[in-house]
Amino acid sequence: MVDFIRGQLISIALIIFILGLIFQLIQFFRLTKKKEWVYPPLEIKSENKSAGQWVAFCFGSLKGTLWKTDPLVTIVTSVFHVFLIGVPIFLLGHNILLDHSWGLSLWSLPESMTDIFTLVVLICLAFFLARRLFLARVRAITTLYDYVILLIVGAPFLTGYFAYHQWFHYDTVMTIHILAGEVMLITIPFTKLGHMLFFFLYRFLVGNEYSFAKGARAW
Amino acid sequence: MENNMPNPGAKPVDTKQIKEMLNRKKGKMKRYLSHCAHCSLCAESCFLYMEHHKDPQYMPSYKAINSLGKLYRKRGKVDRKLLTEMKGIVWRNCVLCGRCYCPIGIHIPSMIAFARSILRSQDVYPQLDEVFSESWL
Repeated sequence: MVDFIRGQLISIALIIFILGLIFQLIQFFRLTKKKEWVYPPLEIKSENKSAGQWVAFCFGSLKGTLWKTDPLVTIVTSVFHVFLIGVPIFLLGHNILLDHSWGLSLWSLPESMTDIFTLVVLICLAFFLARRLFLARVRAITTLYDYVILLIVGAPFLTGYFAYHQWFHYDTVMTIHILAGEVMLITIPFTKLGHMLFFFLYRFLVGNEYSFAKGARAW
Repeated sequence: MENNMPNPGAKPVDTKQIKEMLNRKKGKMKRYLSHCAHCSLCAESCFLYMEHHKDPQYMPSYKAINSLGKLYRKRGKVDRKLLTEMKGIVWRNCVLCGRCYCPIGIHIPSMIAFARSILRSQDVYPQLDEVFSESWL
């Protein structure tokens, strides 16, 4: 069983992750079609503004956005998502393993740095958990499923942190870490973690008022 | 007094029709519902939420989850009592102004509008005298 988790299941999880995302992508393009016409992009009139006026204009534009209404969550969630993706990809240990098995690797961040970043991810997750537990508006829409998702996301980082510091029984922690990573990869395309892909599809390809791009597709 | 009592003379709920309607937009709506991170960041974009002392019932996500979300969860097998409860959520608690903002990009008004269509197909909608009663406002 341990051999399966540390061996074949890694490939199976990766295949399910990649094929799952491709399947979701194909489904999305099947369900949406190109619009006959799209709104022209908004153009900001070029005015002769001084540097100070531009800064004031940029900060003024933030009014009514999440930066203004909920700056703490905006900062925490931004940091969380950057490290959530970045830490596993640029982790030295992962890249050494990649090099051993596939003969290729990416750049690696110093271990002391990824150690701190992992801790940051865990603190962010604790913040999200606290919001779910103590904030009435989040609690109103929270179900058991939300806690399970938090666990799925947090487990690889928590066990990775334990493994790096060699806390508890190293081999067991490492096996749980690998299993947790595999569970996360498998669940991404089919659960709410799918917003990893759909965030870009919704915000860039589907046309609506809040699209970041022109959004030339419609459901 | 809010009129949430089911009309005794009303026709029985056509669950088959509801299911058909749900299936028609399943691809879009189920994705929207499943990708909602339940973060509650949409709350402040709703003026009704702000005007009702930040009552969570007025959060856009709460309204979508407890109307269309419930219809999908129950696969359309709902009774008139539940539909009547949803009536308050999708008509009284939401005016479909379209100002709700989701950081992921989920289009919440289309979910509420679809829930309204389903309810309307079962003759569940606000009556004229309800609309103008104080309880409705």
